[in-house]
Amino acid sequence: MNPTFGSILIKVFAGAVESGTILLLPTLGEVLTERSGVLNLGLEGLMLIGAFFGFLGAMKTGNPYVGLLLGMAAAAAAAAIHAFICVTLRGNQTVTGLALSIFGAGLTSFYGDSWVSQRLTTAIKPMAVPVLSRIPILGPIFFSQDLIVYAAYVLVAVFWFLLFKTKIGVNLRAVGENAKAADAMGVNVVGTRYFWTILGGALAGAGGAYITCCIHPYWLNGITSGKGWIAVALVVFAMWNPFNALVGGFLFGSIEALQLQLQAAGTYINSALLSMLPYITTFVVIIVATVIVRVRHVGTPKELGIPYAREEK
Amino acid sequence: MEGQEQLMLVMNNITKRFPGIVANNHVNFALRKGEIHALLGENGAGKSTLMNVLDGIYYPDEGEIVIEGNRVDLRSPLDSMKHGIGMIHQHFMLVDSLSVIENVILGLESQGFYIDKKSVAGRIKAIATKYNFRVDPYAKIWQLSVGEQQRVEIIKTLFKGARILILDEPTSVLTPQESEELFGILREMKSEGKSIIFISHKLGEVMSVSDRVTVLRKGRLMGTVDTASITERELAKMMIGRDVLFRLERGDIEQGREILRVEEAQTYNDRGIMALDKLSIVVHGGEIMGVAGVAGNGQVELAECITGLRHLVGGHITVEGIDVTNATPCTLVSVGVNYIPADRLGVGLVPNLSTVENAMLRKYKQKPMRRGTFIDYGAACAYADGLIEKFDIAVPLKNAPVKVLSGGNMQKLLLAREIDENPRLLIAEHPTRGLDVGATEFVRKTLLEQRDHGVAVLLISEDLDEILMVADRIAVMYEGRIVGIVDAHHADIAQIGLMMAGAVGAKT
Amino acid sequence: MLRFEKRDKTPVRLRVLVPICSVLLGLFVGSVVMLFARVNPLRVYEAVVKGAFGSAYTFSETLVIAVPLILISAGLCLVYRMKFFNIGAKGQYIMGAICGSYLALFGPATMPRPLLLTLMMVLGTVGGALWAIIPALLKAYWNVNEVIATLLLNYIASYILWYLMYGTWRDQRSHGFPLSKSFALNAQLPRILPAPSRLHIGLFFGLAAAGIVWIIIRKTRFGYEGRVLGENERAARYAGINVFKTIIIAAAISGGLAGLAGIAHTSAVLRILQLEINSDYGYTAIIAAWLAGLDPLVAVGVSVLLAALEAGGYQIQIVMRVPFGIVGVIESAILFCLLAGEIVTHYRISLTRRLTA
Repeated sequence: MNPTFGSILIKVFAGAVESGTILLLPTLGEVLTERSGVLNLGLEGLMLIGAFFGFLGAMKTGNPYVGLLLGMAAAAAAAAIHAFICVTLRGNQTVTGLALSIFGAGLTSFYGDSWVSQRLTTAIKPMAVPVLSRIPILGPIFFSQDLIVYAAYVLVAVFWFLLFKTKIGVNLRAVGENAKAADAMGVNVVGTRYFWTILGGALAGAGGAYITCCIHPYWLNGITSGKGWIAVALVVFAMWNPFNALVGGFLFGSIEALQLQLQAAGTYINSALLSMLPYITTFVVIIVATVIVRVRHVGTPKELGIPYAREEK
Repeated sequence: MEGQEQLMLVMNNITKRFPGIVANNHVNFALRKGEIHALLGENGAGKSTLMNVLDGIYYPDEGEIVIEGNRVDLRSPLDSMKHGIGMIHQHFMLVDSLSVIENVILGLESQGFYIDKKSVAGRIKAIATKYNFRVDPYAKIWQLSVGEQQRVEIIKTLFKGARILILDEPTSVLTPQESEELFGILREMKSEGKSIIFISHKLGEVMSVSDRVTVLRKGRLMGTVDTASITERELAKMMIGRDVLFRLERGDIEQGREILRVEEAQTYNDRGIMALDKLSIVVHGGEIMGVAGVAGNGQVELAECITGLRHLVGGHITVEGIDVTNATPCTLVSVGVNYIPADRLGVGLVPNLSTVENAMLRKYKQKPMRRGTFIDYGAACAYADGLIEKFDIAVPLKNAPVKVLSGGNMQKLLLAREIDENPRLLIAEHPTRGLDVGATEFVRKTLLEQRDHGVAVLLISEDLDEILMVADRIAVMYEGRIVGIVDAHHADIAQIGLMMAGAVGAKT
Repeated sequence: MLRFEKRDKTPVRLRVLVPICSVLLGLFVGSVVMLFARVNPLRVYEAVVKGAFGSAYTFSETLVIAVPLILISAGLCLVYRMKFFNIGAKGQYIMGAICGSYLALFGPATMPRPLLLTLMMVLGTVGGALWAIIPALLKAYWNVNEVIATLLLNYIASYILWYLMYGTWRDQRSHGFPLSKSFALNAQLPRILPAPSRLHIGLFFGLAAAGIVWIIIRKTRFGYEGRVLGENERAARYAGINVFKTIIIAAAISGGLAGLAGIAHTSAVLRILQLEINSDYGYTAIIAAWLAGLDPLVAVGVSVLLAALEAGGYQIQIVMRVPFGIVGVIESAILFCLLAGEIVTHYRISLTRRLTA
């Protein structure tokens, strides 16, 4: 039976949801991290750490979910280093993040070498949602995915709610916008930044582990192929809002899925232009975000990248 | 002394020392229930320190604090909050992009996980209605006017159950209208049984709003009086009252021609409030014009406008007849205007660059230091040496960052560099702040020397003693205007005090 | 509880001690990582040294890697001092390679070699400079965060290369692979040592660049103004320094050097334009500049050391089957230690119990 155009499209979008989730997880984490005022450019390294240690964990225990958790834990630990250097020791956050990316790439490449030919036998399998997956078009795209994708949907809602409807969210946003005021009101600035940086790292690790424990259940050097860097850009595109991150992830994921289809059809050129699109768009977005901050007071968290030092009186 | 049970708050014998200064010297202060009590004094009197002790930011070296009959130990702002003390600082602690509701509940421990915005909004509105003002709980802080933002700060303290409110110079950021509205709110709060302390240097407000006034001077308590039973003049005397000090020896020279003319200058400060309100002043060559006034009345903005660091929105500035309104700093320097800023490590000197590199900041574009695209560091070094010798600056290592020098030597370097430009007009802003005796003396002597050479010197200082000692004429600034100019030889201290506190020549 | 007290001045011994300790700690961390994989660190380090300096050939390979690092890090030292954090050297490298290669691939075939090469180098420099001027303008006029802007431009540059290499610049005879036609002899930047060494005259460009940037920083008005600007923008404005001009010129120099590195390496070493042109040197150079304390002459030495690490890394991968990744681990560990140690130079740290009256 010839695949119809419609079924190809559905396949593309379903793939987009998958790719989008890989991007969404680190993006969500970094949205929260940056909202607390910490810039973590090391997402690529954290995703690789999550991917590798997730794979390792899954291979050793035979359980891919355990692997995922292990990957998250490893990435969280690496993010803790970043937090220590940036928050407590007030190191330059840009360079520290770069170092983290290089560290993650190097470490996983080094350890991963001996695991390259292995394949995970028990990967995370898709689980169709009982009723919803029968809905035409939407069902196969959104509701016939694996647990991690559903968890990601839930996390978007949870974090959106947390940020804008809870006290924790208010404290977090205050720390990122005016650390001095937050401190004066009794919020633990240092603790807040540590917490969200480490959590952000865990989520980045989850994104990486999702690849090796589910989608491509084997290890390859650099398996994340720059997705961590895309996530950094995606945070800006999403204007630090979890819901926009979901939309952006899906958009960027669609472009990647489309790209794969085009490559299969042998047209590379359009693929390059298409791939450029998210970055050009994000570029425009950050210009807009910076300019409108003056007018609408939303955008880059004011304290982003600035270490906090309570002045000695 | 009244029964301590009837008093809301008693501070006994509070002493707080900082290196080199006793900020509060055995100060006694008592606050009755349901009164508005003003704390009056000029710069450095110790008012803010005393209130910071109450707010838990400083811990006193001696003395005790008693609240409603119980001794308390206040070691942090949270402790103070727990005892019902709420302080509204001059610089608000608000997060611009969050709403009023979010700012009010920020950091609050009692609030649960989920913010019940409706209930918090309701409570906020209730507080506002109680004290007769309006507030939109859902508005974002950046959308509010300064007066409204201040009210949010007030709401924050009331929300936390404050029974004692401290306001630090609250009207410094308000328009006259907003000030009146604020006083209305304070009176309402008083009738509800709240006890209010407000720090001010403005006699008009103190007289119109307060029940009692406590005057501090140089860290000591001058007295506490019922407002109704004292006059402004008497208060001014308490605030400033001093014997006439000796004046520095100076040459008797003729007042030169007019050098600086500021006409009806108007400008805004960083918070968007009018800082210079049609200010006019003239300074002649060969005189030191002292600008007296409590900090925050526009002195900084005046200096910035004259030196090209701030934009004038109205009025003119001329130097020796040349219109330099809104000229660039470069142009102003070339016309002969030089500046000793208050923040010497800000605009004046660059801390991480060496002494040599700082010395050449004004001259590096000219020969001999300029050699095409290059800099002749040899010439720069020689220049720095010249300055060091002429002004006797102690510089251990010329090429070490300038921040290692002592405050006094940094100021000498700054002075040296600016004076070497042979200015026609020299603006000196708090030039002896933080300096030791020797350096202070040197700076004042140098200013007098410049005056003797015919330079017009504008001396802006928080230290009235210094102005009395050094200046030929004294202009008093209040709320962005010059409210009076007196001859320093025959200065009437009380009169100056009244002017500084807005009781003379100010708009009502 | 840690208490930080600002220092008035940094003792000289700390300035030297902190980087040295960072290097040692970095090597130590690398050793720990290796031990977990049951690899003998000492043998690895020995092999790295041999792989980098063991023979004339390996030494020249080390220098081949060092050349782009020296060029790029010199430019970064300049802009980082002005607090303009250009992390777009990779993109500027790529654009330089593209612009210069245009002439190599489509210019008149009979152009004399010196002329062609000069034009190629100039075009490459200009290409890189323009790619850096864009984010500089955005920063100067609209205060757009240059970290994110330059990062995005890296991607866009990579995709431009991709577009060209799968498109019109692809050589017909490359069987569908994304390769350009090989550079003709007159488009090849000359090498300075006989084969098999690939060391080329780019080395002299690099050394000259390092020296020139050092002179700019230390001896020229522009360098002086840039340093004042980097320290305190307000003081710079008050001194009459043109902030816009200074940032844009500095960014142009930094981008230009990266672009030059790109075309020089492509023309001399690769002699062909392709997808992988070693543009990641743009990131390694950041490490080099930072480790060098933003001094371009020190950066020459640091670049050689980092290049040695990479060259040695290739060797140990081939000979000892130790994955190249260990190089990244060591480099980043050194950098982490340096970043962590920097606070010690600005603050005196002490442990105190909770403050009591």
